[in-house]
Amino acid sequence: MGLTGGLVPPVIAATGFGGERAMDELAVIASVLYQFGTNAAFLLLCALGLIVILGMMNIINLAHGELMMLGAYTATIAYQRGMPFWLSVVCAFVAVGIFGAILERLVVRRFYGRELGALVVTWGISLILAQGTLVLLGPFMPAIPIPGGNFAVGQYSFSGYWIGMIVVCAALIAALWWLYNRTEIGLHARATMQNATMARALGVNTDRIYMLTFSLGAGLAGMSGALLAPTTSIQPFMGQQFVAPAFITVVVGGAANVIAGALSSSLLLSLVKTPVGFLVGAFWGTVVLLLAALIIIRLIPDGISAAIQRWLERGARVR
Amino acid sequence: MTDENKKADDVTEQPAARSSQTPGPGLKRRDLLRNVGVGSVAAGLGSATYLQGLNLGRMRAMAQDTGPVKIGFIEDESGNLAVYGLQKLHAAQLAVKEINEGKTLKGDANIGAGMVGVLGKVAANPPVISKEGTALDVVNDGGAQDKADLVFDEDDDILIDSGEQGVLGREVELVSADGQSNNAVWQQLARRMIQQDQVDVLVAGFASAEREAIRPIVDQFSQLYFYTNQYEGGVADANTFCTGPVCEQQVIPTVQYMVENFGPNCYTIAADYNFGQLTAAWTRAFIPLVGGNIVGEEFIPLSVSEFSQVIARIQQTNPDWVMTLLVGQNHHNYYPQAAAAGLKYPMASTVNMAQGYEHKRFPPPSMANMHNAIQYQMEVPTGRNRAFVQRWMEMFPEDQYIGEMAQNTYFTIHLYAKAARLAHTTDQETVRRALELGWGIEAPEGSVFLEPGTHHCAHPIRLAYCDEQHNVSFLRDWPMIQAWWLQRLGVNLIRNPEYKQYVPDEDPYFSFV
Repeated sequence: MGLTGGLVPPVIAATGFGGERAMDELAVIASVLYQFGTNAAFLLLCALGLIVILGMMNIINLAHGELMMLGAYTATIAYQRGMPFWLSVVCAFVAVGIFGAILERLVVRRFYGRELGALVVTWGISLILAQGTLVLLGPFMPAIPIPGGNFAVGQYSFSGYWIGMIVVCAALIAALWWLYNRTEIGLHARATMQNATMARALGVNTDRIYMLTFSLGAGLAGMSGALLAPTTSIQPFMGQQFVAPAFITVVVGGAANVIAGALSSSLLLSLVKTPVGFLVGAFWGTVVLLLAALIIIRLIPDGISAAIQRWLERGARVR
Repeated sequence: MTDENKKADDVTEQPAARSSQTPGPGLKRRDLLRNVGVGSVAAGLGSATYLQGLNLGRMRAMAQDTGPVKIGFIEDESGNLAVYGLQKLHAAQLAVKEINEGKTLKGDANIGAGMVGVLGKVAANPPVISKEGTALDVVNDGGAQDKADLVFDEDDDILIDSGEQGVLGREVELVSADGQSNNAVWQQLARRMIQQDQVDVLVAGFASAEREAIRPIVDQFSQLYFYTNQYEGGVADANTFCTGPVCEQQVIPTVQYMVENFGPNCYTIAADYNFGQLTAAWTRAFIPLVGGNIVGEEFIPLSVSEFSQVIARIQQTNPDWVMTLLVGQNHHNYYPQAAAAGLKYPMASTVNMAQGYEHKRFPPPSMANMHNAIQYQMEVPTGRNRAFVQRWMEMFPEDQYIGEMAQNTYFTIHLYAKAARLAHTTDQETVRRALELGWGIEAPEGSVFLEPGTHHCAHPIRLAYCDEQHNVSFLRDWPMIQAWWLQRLGVNLIRNPEYKQYVPDEDPYFSFV
């Protein structure tokens, strides 16, 4: 083992200067960090669109998976027409966002305040979207190759694309934070969320805010679908695989603060899942994830973000 | 001939393909047939008595039946398993069309479930034996036995005239229904087909869960039933004929090849349900016999679709190769994700590629270095298969692929028609007895033999290999592998009718080492 110990940079370690044990330790640390990041990014991407709609509008959107599917389809079609991948992702955001706005105008707005009605109608929409895609576009689409190569640290190798996704997730969270806290629309949206009647009285066009929020949520779902598209098979029913992780993340995160909720719950759930999944296996990783969600919801029924909110408020009062 | 086929033909261990191009040398199956001709005539006479003595009264009743012969057919045409079900439906439609046009596949009951041949040294010409005396002197040895060849003949043209349109002068009708990938729907449809439509034979079933859902209904009405899927094995049911390959025919060749070529250490990832568990158990039981061992084994819930942790665990163990027994659309994501993470381990499987054509659906190199011992997939490089694919694509020009079970369904329906002709009736009990004579049928995959006692088939097995560009070649041929496990357990459905599925726990083979 060399004098440099754990500080050996990966490239040197990989070429054998750093000694075997230092390299092994570094490789394991890098691998665990990578797994933690990918698990969190996956949960966050699944949840992002859903939490905007649920947190802001209290609509339980069961068509969330199908919106992600539409995003993946849009990106795939755009990519096959020769568009670069990043542009296809933007395309998916815009297209599904517009689709969300239309959906809100035509259907969803008739169900505001009727949570169960909204639940059933979005479920119906999800069935129509999935089966309609099957009828129109057939059971399969050719997949998008995963961009971004891979690199190795010791015996572990990592996908460059997932590293990119972690960065994109961080950027999305930052952008959402900026939108909600630094723009006028964000201010109006938060006002509408806290007290719609009062916001209306103060001149906020809540109708427009609802449409924009639903559209933003749908667009984010579409974008997540597009980002996850290369890692998955593009099929009409592909959305279903994202629905369960999305709802778990959103419910654990809570709706008190959309951004803090999504971020903290995906990080916390990944923190629980990663070590167990790595040491014991994917099955127990999933079990522990569900168990953690169960315990958190039992202890903090309104989610982590509400707990953070309370803690911040208490801090403010003490000061 | 496409490039990949050429490549496959160039591989030296390609006896089946090679022998079809060199007519002449070696003892041919035709000769075998001729040699056993006397015996087969006797068997034929015997079989006629065996069948016709059975139930004359019912036969007369059936003779008056002039309606169509009804083939009940349930597959998943929508839902999660539609990718397989649609292929199987088309296969059934093609077979029914051919039967009604007066065609049949070669093959007979008169040699029973025999063997086709073996790989051996052959001379240029067959030896000539002196007619003098009883010493059997060789007059001409046919030249030096200087080349290895398969004592086996594979005709390019397996579709021949049946001598009638339809079966027994009646038109064949396909009564098909969509199981919707839903077990409850399957049960409902099975009842409807048996009781209301009164089908003469039922051909149905993709997932083992679907088969097990309808088998009690099949047994309740003693319905003649064909299950055409590749599956985990063990079904011993007097009413059920399983025409797909099972674990002992696929797992063992695959594991043997992988250990010989890549090393002893295997990491298994398998779907966490009946099929994955049992196939992994076969791998675990067999691998010590060829000097390998399992260094890691993980059963993955069907809901998992994000594999970075599974990939990290495999890398941590650093095996020589990975056995992937992954089922369903969530699991298929493993391949592109592993490829993107730079996982380069050779892979083996018994399900992927041949059924859901993942090598065509995912961009290269997701399936690179995949090995699967299959009995059929569309790329099989023989003349008879090319003719079959051409016939299929003429009827269904939109189709992308013909998978393992689609081909099974195709030859199974032809097999039923042949058995009904021999039985001179569609009476189910008599046709079942006709099938239990043991059959050899020439399918697109090669010669298939229905073993009467266990109602399972011996298949030719080929090791399919997928390269970096997702081209397919066949690395090794096993001309015939028996479905021997039920035989080993002493199952004989003719003497002792049973209606159950055996599991590996009932056999000490699985705790041998």
